Amino acid sequence: MRAEWTKLRTVPAWALALPAAAVIIVLFGLFPGMQGSCGKPGSATECKPTTGPDGVEVRDSFAFAYRTLDGDGSITVRVAALTGELTDGPGLVPWAKAGLMVKDTTEPGSSYAAVMVTGARGVRMQHDFVHDKAGRKTPLAWLRLTRAGGTIMGEESADGTQWTVVNRVQLPDLGRSVVAGLFVTSPQHAEEDSNTFGVKGARGGPSQATAEFADLAVTGAWQGTQWTKQHIGGPGNGPGQGDPAGGQPGSQELTLTGSGDIAPAVTGAAGVGTSITTTLIGTFAGLIVVVVVGVLFASGEYRRGLIRTTLAAQPRRGRVLAAKAAVAGAAGFVAGLVAGAIVVYAGREVLQSNGVFIPAVPVATELRLIAGTGAMLGLTAVLGLALGMLLRRSATAITAAVVAVILPYLLAMTVLPTAAADWALRVTPAAAFAIQQSAVEYAQVANVYTPVDGYMPLSPWAGLAVLVAWTAVALSGAYYRLVRADA
Amino acid sequence: MSGVLRSEWTKLRTTSGTAWLLLGLVVATIGIGWLATAVTTCTHSDCFLDPTQLSLTGVQLGQIVVAVLAVMLFGNEYSTGLIRLTLAATPRRWTVLAAKALVLTGPVLLAAGVAVAGSVVAGRQYQSVPFRLTPVLGTVIYLALIALFSLGLAAIVRSAAVAIGIVLGLCYAYPLLAAATGDPAWVRRLLQIGPTTAGQNIMSTVDPETLAHAPWNGLGVLALWTAGTLLTAAVLLHRRDA
Amino acid sequence: MTDKMIEVNGLRKRFGGHLALDGMTFGVHSGRITGFVGPNGAGKSTTMRVILGLDRAESGTALVGGVPYRSLKRPLTHVGSLLDAGALQPSRTARDHLLWLAHSQGLGRNRVEEVLEQAGLSAVARRRAGGFSLGMRQRLGIAAALLGDPWALLLDEPFNGMDPEGIVWMRGFLRSLAGQGRAVLVSSHLMGELQGTADHVVIVGRGRVIADSSVAGLLARASSGLVSLRTSSPEAAAVLTGAGASVREAEDGTLTVTGLTAEQIVSALSARGIPFAEVSAHRATLEQAYMDLTRDAVEFRAAEVSR
Repeated sequence: MRAEWTKLRTVPAWALALPAAAVIIVLFGLFPGMQGSCGKPGSATECKPTTGPDGVEVRDSFAFAYRTLDGDGSITVRVAALTGELTDGPGLVPWAKAGLMVKDTTEPGSSYAAVMVTGARGVRMQHDFVHDKAGRKTPLAWLRLTRAGGTIMGEESADGTQWTVVNRVQLPDLGRSVVAGLFVTSPQHAEEDSNTFGVKGARGGPSQATAEFADLAVTGAWQGTQWTKQHIGGPGNGPGQGDPAGGQPGSQELTLTGSGDIAPAVTGAAGVGTSITTTLIGTFAGLIVVVVVGVLFASGEYRRGLIRTTLAAQPRRGRVLAAKAAVAGAAGFVAGLVAGAIVVYAGREVLQSNGVFIPAVPVATELRLIAGTGAMLGLTAVLGLALGMLLRRSATAITAAVVAVILPYLLAMTVLPTAAADWALRVTPAAAFAIQQSAVEYAQVANVYTPVDGYMPLSPWAGLAVLVAWTAVALSGAYYRLVRADA
Repeated sequence: MSGVLRSEWTKLRTTSGTAWLLLGLVVATIGIGWLATAVTTCTHSDCFLDPTQLSLTGVQLGQIVVAVLAVMLFGNEYSTGLIRLTLAATPRRWTVLAAKALVLTGPVLLAAGVAVAGSVVAGRQYQSVPFRLTPVLGTVIYLALIALFSLGLAAIVRSAAVAIGIVLGLCYAYPLLAAATGDPAWVRRLLQIGPTTAGQNIMSTVDPETLAHAPWNGLGVLALWTAGTLLTAAVLLHRRDA
Repeated sequence: MTDKMIEVNGLRKRFGGHLALDGMTFGVHSGRITGFVGPNGAGKSTTMRVILGLDRAESGTALVGGVPYRSLKRPLTHVGSLLDAGALQPSRTARDHLLWLAHSQGLGRNRVEEVLEQAGLSAVARRRAGGFSLGMRQRLGIAAALLGDPWALLLDEPFNGMDPEGIVWMRGFLRSLAGQGRAVLVSSHLMGELQGTADHVVIVGRGRVIADSSVAGLLARASSGLVSLRTSSPEAAAVLTGAGASVREAEDGTLTVTGLTAEQIVSALSARGIPFAEVSAHRATLEQAYMDLTRDAVEFRAAEVSR
């Protein structure tokens, strides 16, 4: 093993290539041309996202007609109509929401529970931003929300007499006096848009929804008789946005128009900012470098017959292969680890100073990103090495390795539609890019979850496992050929 | 010239890899395109899909096969030292380059034609790929231009490994690099300049406004790159010691 | 054949700071084998590449049959060459290798079969050249050089890697080619290989010609010196000293004489009626002659020792 390390170390080009791989990743990570408006003078927004009860960054923006509920009570309503409007005409986004809500305070980010109808996702009961439970798949329904201490129960009914419980949830943060009432909101609409100059993107825009509520009835410790209308979380982003009014105060009917979303914050097309994964965009270039080093480390032995010297010095061929793999893998891992650490921490600074909002991620995720980048580079170096030993000719082996690792990634990032891109990132060695994802995908948040935005089809470790499997296959092939064939 | 042409044809014909690579071009192109169209489902009507381009996804792999074939033509001669014999037999060196280019173009056009037409036909099983002349004819020309570009590159760098490395970089790393710049103006500029990224516009049938280049203009950029590379190769071949 | 020749005149070429050719000048005449000898790095291969138009000289000319090689339309019908027997596409068969070369000169399949026969390769013509031994590759290289039936042949180190049997074949083959009136230039860094083969030698060192002479002349120059004879007469030494020679006497009655040729010794002793036997001139080998001439031109060996 020391002999192999000396071999790797003493070819100046290889010894330089590994730090170069790290430097390339760092350069890509630290000089993205991405610009944002957060914290910039002028029409700046401060980009301090609201945080929910669990500290998760959330979006909490909706039209609310509420009264104070000082104790237990329930509210019943029939959603008679839900219509929406997009930037370019009428249209209802799938995750437009209208229904009933109990919320700790009117402060954005405070604890809540709500039962609602949606644009296209049926009846749902959601609470504290990240929790979601589906009811019947019906566009309109009777809804009822009952509070008993810290327990909130949501029910639905088709006719107002036969009620079904959607969910019963505990809200430990809820005070005795809460606000409760009717709400409407409508998130950004977004859809995948292929081919802006051949690079995939998304298009979309703000939307708003209007709900007509009828047969409004309350029981319990409700204060006052007037429904206060307010747009929680500042003005929404809908067209012609503003007045969340409608209907006569005190009557059983009420019309409410809202825009925004009540959901965990996501990055990407319909979200805000970009994920920390963006800083690791240079990984592909680093991978190309380690592939070349790995291949040459192997095929260099064959070009000038050096392999005979190597095998004469260590006749147990399996050990030669293992030593070479260990050296190449470790060298790649260290290069990736260093690059990952620099990029993840320094890259965030750069993006933030450019005014790009980056959602916070747990420390464990940061460590996974850094170690994962190291693991990708290390494994890819071993894959290159194995292909080099297997194919023996550097041009062929480099081509094979780059086609296996980089091509699927490129296709997924550029030309392929999401369905095909997902497959490319499931079955090929490029699946390992999943280890670098930091954004969490929520089923109840309308967004374009594409690989381009850092949402990979596989979970981080499953993705890495695919690369491990490919590397193992290539290594077995290399071992077989090394042991069976003449040197 | 006809003797040199015949000689280069004999060389190409008697290299064991040629037939396999041409077969590989057809299989890889159709296979990947077929897979891409098979797994893509478009649920809503306006999912911005370009079925023609999708069915031609395999060209992304096929172009490398073509490049390997082209690069071998010169790279192998340099790695074995055979080039000296070739140039001793044909001292007017540009005729060697021209002959190689000609004997390469024929089989590549033929195989690319089969590959591209096959991809469109295979794609029609799952997607409504229209029969249109521009993308089909243009993609065949694209593959031939990639072959000639790679040939010139191999003659310039005199090493198969280095040449294929550059082609791989241009095909796979360059578009990602362009996208990584983030600034849309720069992305567009880089995509317009790059030989592969510009040429690949020919595969699109969507609104030319959203492309970096109009299809034929993009192919023109690649043609300019190819012409420049071959010219440089001819000059260097003439000037340099073999 | 007419007396066409290869003429090299004042070639100079520099690789970086290293002067590879420094006024190289010589000629190769038809009908004889010219040995091209010098230590490694003396400029032999570079000269051959310049003659073949592969490398460009900074100054000087190299003409084949009076014209530059690069102006020839079907050059292999004028000059055949073997520079590097390993320059083969390993996957191609011997026959296909010759076939593309033949096509480039407008020659047909028949000619390929002829030269395969001549080089003794007909039996292995269908085998991949990658599996050939070095000796077989040399034969294939010779076959390629003969393809165009050229009047001149340039062979770079054709004896390399050949077994003794192959060397004997090669020598005979080269002799017959010269006998057909062709001009043959054969390079080697071992003078011994050329003994008994070459008619003429061009000895080079440090990019220039050190000696350009017939083999006989070269041997004579190197041999001028020692003659030994046996005699029982005690006067012999005095007589020869009187004739201007210096004489060393061995105990068994053998005299070693310098300063007179064998013929002069014989006539001097015969004139006095002194009996003698076994007059023999020490014939130097080509190797010795070559070592004498190139002693100061051997730059690489010295450099290697001092490293």
